[in-house]
Amino acid sequence: MMPLNLSALSESHLIDAVLPLAQTGFPEPMGAPALAHYLFVSAAMFVIGLIGFLTRRNLIIMFLCTELMFQAAGLALIAFSRFHLEHSGQTFVIFVLTVAAAEAALALALVVLLFRKRESLSSEEWGEMRG
Amino acid sequence: MDLIINPYILYVGIVLGAIGVCLALPRARVSPQGIGALLAALAGGLVIIGLGLRNPEGLPNLYFYLFSILALGSALRVISHQRPVYAALYFILTILASAGMYLLLSAEFMAFALIIVYAGAILITYLFVIMLATQAPSEEETERLEAYDAQSRDPVLATIIGFVLLAALSTMLFRGSAALPAGTIDAGGNAVLAQLPRRVERSLRDADAWQDGDRFATDAAGLPAIDPEHRTATLVRRGEEVTVEFPESLQARNVESLAFNFLNEHPGTIEIAGVLLLMAMLGAVVLSRRQVQFDEEVKARQARRLAEAIRREGGAA
Repeated sequence: MMPLNLSALSESHLIDAVLPLAQTGFPEPMGAPALAHYLFVSAAMFVIGLIGFLTRRNLIIMFLCTELMFQAAGLALIAFSRFHLEHSGQTFVIFVLTVAAAEAALALALVVLLFRKRESLSSEEWGEMRG
Repeated sequence: MDLIINPYILYVGIVLGAIGVCLALPRARVSPQGIGALLAALAGGLVIIGLGLRNPEGLPNLYFYLFSILALGSALRVISHQRPVYAALYFILTILASAGMYLLLSAEFMAFALIIVYAGAILITYLFVIMLATQAPSEEETERLEAYDAQSRDPVLATIIGFVLLAALSTMLFRGSAALPAGTIDAGGNAVLAQLPRRVERSLRDADAWQDGDRFATDAAGLPAIDPEHRTATLVRRGEEVTVEFPESLQARNVESLAFNFLNEHPGTIEIAGVLLLMAMLGAVVLSRRQVQFDEEVKARQARRLAEAIRREGGAA
């Protein structure tokens, strides 16, 4: 087993303050996660969001699933930013948040409008809009 | 290049996960949601533990496991819970777990911004709309579920599409292991200290390297002579130039380096984001306003009342 890799844990000053357990220590099984681990989690989260968007029929939940996909993209950006030791990735997550906020505002206005027209949140109510 | 995970473990995990997610999606009759969630959790555990086996550094650290399982598990709950309110609450849990992973990736500012903006603002808006756009249940049926919430559309097909995508993505990922480089992201960004003379001064004062009456020497361009690369600053002390070293604790903080990157390197993007937000605001107003139809009589009455009020105003003046 590898010795407890404290330098990897305490690489952010905040971890020390927020999670004092990092110092007192869990037992051994800790190394540094590689880039691929974060990318896998991000891909899995994106896919879960995609499946949710395809299967759920409630308009609000469908938009919630797009937020899940935004979230996955943000995680990948942050992981790459850490990998390249470059801040642009984090900066772009700020813009992802902006776009997500704009999207939420528009989408929810749309949902309220559609609900007023048909008294239902089902996406199949609007099936006639299919091309 | 050596694989960090045995592809068979990966694919077995992905197939298991697909079956689990498929079972966990809501269905009309008795749905095996619990079994599905269990299978998906098993698959997630298999893949994530499998990730560590071939990693030369040993298993990834415990916090990563904790946060990733929390994030993926609650993401599954977002898409499988039949009640929208609970789905939104589970989404908040996903956000919190992602913020934890941001902390592990030393993106402290973004972690807290994520919690404030997402969990604090966007999700509250979602909850508002969920409350607005659902009919109140009647007294007899407090547990009423809408049909479109209770049943998902083509769960098998969607799951297959999603997990084929995941398999493709992760096959490319595991063709090699790229460890995260040592050091922190902000140590490389210490260059911003050259533009923060007051912070350098405060830190030097705390370390007693700065005496009263000192000031920074200026270089050819008229800027304070701070050299972040060698971690020294040149001061003018009683007419002579002295070079002092930075104390160990003087490091650029995440938010400082991020702010310099944000404002220096992406000014155009900020403008575009501003326009986008303005357009979204206008769009939301236009979409959600309600058109009220007055008939002629009401309009005439209101006009008379207005005219009356104006006349009275004029009389008082």
